[in-house]
Amino acid sequence: MNRQVQAPVWPDAPDAAPLGDDRCATRLHRPTTVDALCDAVREEVEQGGAVYPQGGRTALDYGRPPGRPGAAVDVSALDEVIDYPHADMTITVRAGMTVSTLRGILAEKNQRLLIDVPWPDRATLGGALATGVCGPRRFGLGRPRDSIIGVSFVTSNAVEVKGGGRVVKNVAGYDFPKLLTGSMGTLGVITQATLKVRPLPGASALIWLPVDDPAKLDERLAALASSALRPVAFDFLSPSAARLVGGPVGLGRDAWTLVVGIEDDANSVDWQVDRFRVEAERADFDVLRDDATAPLWTALTEFQVETPGPFACSASLRPSQVAAFLADLPAERWALQAHAGVGVVRMQALGEWGGDEAEAAIAGKRAEAVRGGGNLIVTRCPTPWKARIPVWGESRQDWALGRAVKRALDPEGVMNPGRFVGEDG
Amino acid sequence: MTATAVPSSASSTAARLVADLTAALGAENVLFNRDELVVYECDGYVIEKAVPDVVVFPTCTEDVVAVVKICNRHGVPFVPRGAGTSLAGGTLPVGGGVMIGLTKMKRILEINTRDRYAIVEAGVVNVWLTRSLVGTGVHFAPDPSSQTACTIGGNVATNAGGPHTLKYGVTVNHVRGLEIVTPDGEVVQVGGVVEDQPGYDLTGLIVGSEGTFGIVTKVIVNLSRDPEAGRTLLAVFDTVEDSVEAVSGIVAAGIVPAALEMIDNLMIRAVEAAFKFGFPVDAGAVLIIEVDGLDAALDHEAQAISEIVQTHRGKVEKSIGWRTREEPEYKAIWKSRKMAFGAIGRVSPTFCTQDGVVPRTALPHILRFMEGVSERQQVRIANVFHAGDGNLHPIILFDEQDPDQVRRALDASVEILDECIRLGGSVTGEHGIGVEKLAMMPKLFTPDDLAAMTAVHDALNPDGRCSPAKKLPIGGHCIERTKPGRHASA
Ligand SMILES: Cc1cc2nc3c(=O)[nH]c(=O)nc-3n(C[C@H](O)[C@H](O)[C@H](O)COP(=O)(O)OP(=O)(O)OC[C@H]3O[C@@H](n4cnc5c(N)ncnc54)[C@H](O)[C@@H]3O)c2cc1C
Repeated sequence: MNRQVQAPVWPDAPDAAPLGDDRCATRLHRPTTVDALCDAVREEVEQGGAVYPQGGRTALDYGRPPGRPGAAVDVSALDEVIDYPHADMTITVRAGMTVSTLRGILAEKNQRLLIDVPWPDRATLGGALATGVCGPRRFGLGRPRDSIIGVSFVTSNAVEVKGGGRVVKNVAGYDFPKLLTGSMGTLGVITQATLKVRPLPGASALIWLPVDDPAKLDERLAALASSALRPVAFDFLSPSAARLVGGPVGLGRDAWTLVVGIEDDANSVDWQVDRFRVEAERADFDVLRDDATAPLWTALTEFQVETPGPFACSASLRPSQVAAFLADLPAERWALQAHAGVGVVRMQALGEWGGDEAEAAIAGKRAEAVRGGGNLIVTRCPTPWKARIPVWGESRQDWALGRAVKRALDPEGVMNPGRFVGEDG
Repeated sequence: MTATAVPSSASSTAARLVADLTAALGAENVLFNRDELVVYECDGYVIEKAVPDVVVFPTCTEDVVAVVKICNRHGVPFVPRGAGTSLAGGTLPVGGGVMIGLTKMKRILEINTRDRYAIVEAGVVNVWLTRSLVGTGVHFAPDPSSQTACTIGGNVATNAGGPHTLKYGVTVNHVRGLEIVTPDGEVVQVGGVVEDQPGYDLTGLIVGSEGTFGIVTKVIVNLSRDPEAGRTLLAVFDTVEDSVEAVSGIVAAGIVPAALEMIDNLMIRAVEAAFKFGFPVDAGAVLIIEVDGLDAALDHEAQAISEIVQTHRGKVEKSIGWRTREEPEYKAIWKSRKMAFGAIGRVSPTFCTQDGVVPRTALPHILRFMEGVSERQQVRIANVFHAGDGNLHPIILFDEQDPDQVRRALDASVEILDECIRLGGSVTGEHGIGVEKLAMMPKLFTPDDLAAMTAVHDALNPDGRCSPAKKLPIGGHCIERTKPGRHASA
């Protein structure tokens, strides 16, 4: 006989845990083993509730609001290193480890993670992978999907499933590591990942160059794309973004600013900085070297999570469209950062915005992005707006395939319901 | 051509299938005569054979749609095929049906150097794209040794690697989007010219799925900047063991070469006989070690590598400094490496190229292990492989006519792959599971892992009609291989 279960309801107060978008969890599980995590998932599924995986809670408001009542499953107590054969340049860790801790472990062997993550003291590896986060060095180091070679995750069946493996080349089975990266916790709770890591660079430099004439931006970007330099990052900041990012490190000036990041051995970095002077045909730029670059890398990475105004977007464009895309955004209403080499534009709205006004602005820039083969997502906005503004954009044709994959791995729609794209309703 | 041209032995259902396909594609794009079909009974994996009922050559996406819909209407399986260089039987038409040859879809549709992508049809041969990019300052990084023959659609389906994927990543790291015809005949655009699109990374899921999620008709590939310069070193060792210890040493020292390939004595001799590049035929093994990037950093790196080579009793015999990959000496050394499989024909009538992966630090161990296997099974094993990735390609030499040798060759393969698993590696780094390695899957994955993969398979390929019996051991299709021979109905 079927046990009668009462469908859970949204609790009022954040007794258990926040879920983001002003919703609260019915319960908080903080398992210390994978078995306990499976038990928690099983229990919630049996009771008809949803499961909301959480790590460092740095991105709970990302995406659409939680769709139905459910429990938070906090993975942060699962934080061991499973295997670190450093001479193989791979590491396998549990997903709840914070990015800072992971970086520290790698640094002991003179190695590093290839992903820029905001708030690394709080953010967990699982969360970074689930959101597919990236920062300025994506141009040189690739996306999280390029680092991950193995994944384990707990599905709504309450079993831990794996894909990929622990070696750098492997085509056995379907590529679950890629599928889970950027899946926003909607396919399962990521419990473990194996990553490719690389040696720490011998030297680094960040060049900070105010640009007088933003109209010449495209020329500059094109020149950089074919310059003799091999930067790992080149960002372009609007005046207010330059102040936000550069201010704390004493560089902020109200000017459009080009930031070029270089990492390699010391000879190569010296050579590239010299070469930049020649190619730029000027010398009035600042150069930070080696350890002094760290705070600026952090600021460049964390611009995306700043909250200078009511909402923020991220556009993905062809690099050749970046300059035109930036050109017609009023500098006093937006702080803008372009990871220009990969065509990602981070847009922070400034000042007061009405919902209608924001909706129109988003729709306009989204249409522009989509026309060029790109897209625009709303990374942060007041929860009520999310009922009107499709934060992930208009439906794409391949979302139908995505829905089929979602149904295959999570038939009851237990995992992070509501959050991501293409769910019915 | 009409149905009446079908041989009388064909059943009327087969005749109707041929008639429908002919009406859709034209007679010049449909093969159904037995002697023409035999060419397609196997790919680079020769141990199993099966003849398709029909082979078709669509010339555009709409043709593929038409073929897939006809197959569905007739309830027959279909399997895509590029150049047929698969070494895992990926194109084997298990259960017959229609083989969809993509080789007439061979246009390069767009090259955009500023935004660093190209759009190609699935049948474009890998090296055609490379050639058309010479002088533009960018290139398509995946360079499988078979690149003069294999198609980019095939590279996508197998997630192909190559010598230079050590530093630059494999095919999946260089694909931004796909056009596919799904198993029910719908055209879907996945991903796009811009890398991130909201939604699941379906591009990442489909690359490497070995044709089980549909027919790839177009590929949007990423183009990478050419390095400013490079150094390609030829390091010579007395023993295989020293050479692979040097490989582990280089990786452990934190150097990421662009390529790091190993060739053992048996292969050196075969390659020398074929190409006369000047490899030392007495050497136990050679390494081809390449570093690239900014010239300013290279001498230092090359020096560090030379020292590691010496520490492991090796000697750098040649050092080619280059500015472009078009320089003759550069091309000669890589031609020798990439044609090595071809040269092996001089040594043995038949061979089976295995594909296993171990953590790179386990290379010395696995090579010793393979020597043991060679002795135990009394088969010769040659080695030429992507050492820097820990990706082995033991080439097991045997005579197809001798069943006992075939059995021993198969046993040797299994022993080696089992050891790769034991060391924490994989049973395939780039060639795929195909039909060859279905039985290995349960050794690598748990029933829960396989159930999840099967669920995804069934969601995207519900009737299982597209590339049946590939990649996953489902539906009782795991083929018995202890009695090798012709699986064809011939
Ligand atoms: C001498 C030699 C050297 C090789 N070296 C390498 C190497 O260095 N690295 C490496 O990775 N591989 C290598 N291979 C293996 C092989 O070349 C690769 O797997 C290649 O990617 C296959 O391409 P193809 O066009 O020949 O595909 P095929 O052999 O025709 O097909 C391979 C698989 O892909 C599927 N497929 C083909 N086209 C499509 C499509 N359009 N849509 C969907 N599915 C499709 C097929 O069904 C099959 O499962 C080598 C092979 C040989 C013979």
